[in-house]
Amino acid sequence: MLVQAAPPPLPAEHLTVQPLPPKSPHWVYVFDDAFDNEIDARVHLFDGDTYRRLGQIDAGFVPSVNLSPDGATTVVATTYFARGSRGTRTDVVEFTDNTTLAITGEIVLPPKRAETSPSLFNIAYSADGHFLYAAYVTPAASFGVLDPARRAVLGEIDTAGCVLVIPWGPNRVSSLCESGRLLTVTLDTQGHEAARALSEPFFDPDGDPVFVQGIPTTGGYAFLSFLGEVHEVDLSGAQPAFTPPWSLVSPAEKGRWRPGAEQVGAIHRGLGRLYVPMHQGGEGTHKDGGTEIWVFDMASHRRLARWPVHAAGLSRVHAVQVSQDSAPILFAATETSDVAVLDALSGRVRHVEKHLGQTPWMMLNP
Amino acid sequence: MRSLDHLFEHSSRSLARRTSRRSLLASLGQLLTGAALLPLLPVDRGGRAWASDATPKPDSPESCQYWKYCAIDGFLCSCCGGTSSTCPPGTAPSPITWIGTCHNPGDGRDYILSYNDCCGKTSCGNCECNRNEREKPMYRPSRNNDLNWCMANADSNYHCSVSVILGVAEK
Repeated sequence: MLVQAAPPPLPAEHLTVQPLPPKSPHWVYVFDDAFDNEIDARVHLFDGDTYRRLGQIDAGFVPSVNLSPDGATTVVATTYFARGSRGTRTDVVEFTDNTTLAITGEIVLPPKRAETSPSLFNIAYSADGHFLYAAYVTPAASFGVLDPARRAVLGEIDTAGCVLVIPWGPNRVSSLCESGRLLTVTLDTQGHEAARALSEPFFDPDGDPVFVQGIPTTGGYAFLSFLGEVHEVDLSGAQPAFTPPWSLVSPAEKGRWRPGAEQVGAIHRGLGRLYVPMHQGGEGTHKDGGTEIWVFDMASHRRLARWPVHAAGLSRVHAVQVSQDSAPILFAATETSDVAVLDALSGRVRHVEKHLGQTPWMMLNP
Repeated sequence: MRSLDHLFEHSSRSLARRTSRRSLLASLGQLLTGAALLPLLPVDRGGRAWASDATPKPDSPESCQYWKYCAIDGFLCSCCGGTSSTCPPGTAPSPITWIGTCHNPGDGRDYILSYNDCCGKTSCGNCECNRNEREKPMYRPSRNNDLNWCMANADSNYHCSVSVILGVAEK
């Protein structure tokens, strides 16, 4: 009778901290507001190739989140209460090293931070990374100018009722005004106001307002309207330049199909493709998620594809982001908190990551 | 039903066009102190009950489709220990909010409503509701429900939202 030898025991393990792999254009930072327990928001780092969750950045209460221009840092502006859910409010900007996901420093803000839905304009770096701008609403509107290198608040600039911080160039900040104009403040080298200018209205805030979630283009941002107009703002010159708006919808579709939800579009800047979650609905449905993702060519304004999401087993899409490489993938976050990974050229769903957080409302690229 | 909306909207736009920062702040201060008479805004945070989801249930205050909630965005206080017009025990009403108008199919009238938040505890997490009739983005704060309107409270944590009848909207 043969007696099989017992396998050797497993070797002893040594507890260490898992290092992050080298960064990939297919990483995505998923902002999760954790709405059901809103003092505990976080950012999940997810790999669109391996479908692994690589780590987490804690983000406090209704945070503002963005990446530095070089992708090396995640910046989180948030609020903490002294006793967890209550007590003295402290607003703070926290810097996370994206190679380790460890916090490397902070700047305490005045308790004025805008606590609102996510956008790229709640907190934002200047193009050269020298300044950091934080939107304030008390509800009076202003913004803070910060020095991320010296970890210091340089000052506060009032915006006469205009909101958010749209960064451009090394020293300009635009804010969206109730009149449909852009207020642009130019800073001096110390971060103080050197000049301000008010543009002509570039959209109709009464008849067809734009979502504040602007989408980066090669020279500025595209703002989508409730009814599906695309307002491109070029910020490569000395002042904002507005191109004539174009429409996502045909005359027959207008008012019936519309964009909506939280992160209302994504643009692959190299390919010039725009991805928009679209739904059928009337006035008041502008926060409903998309039942289809529509794909447009930014140059010709032609619709290239319609990708129904229910057919792929997805619920309504509330946020989209696209990688900027030559083999792009589209991320689509749904109302049931799944994040789908799609081939951005064909629309084929490669993977659905279930429950990537609780309320994934915005996604950022490295 | 639109008259008060339009009045407020027109006033806000005129204010933005013709006033300085200082006078805007002064006006906002008046709004804050006058909040009981002219409340401003509700809170938004996305949600899982949506404008296009279902048919109205005008007699169910724990339903997102209840007529009073036509522009509420947050957790319904009626599911969190309060009612559609009272804050849950241990929370505090927001002093600033916004008003809107909703149609009550039960009596055929339009009502002016104050959408207040209840503050000082973490989010209730029950009966999330996201409806946005005539809601506008954040650059029009008097019509926006994306901001945390507990922001001016001593404890500015957001818990849930109510919809309080101020009166009948005159046609």
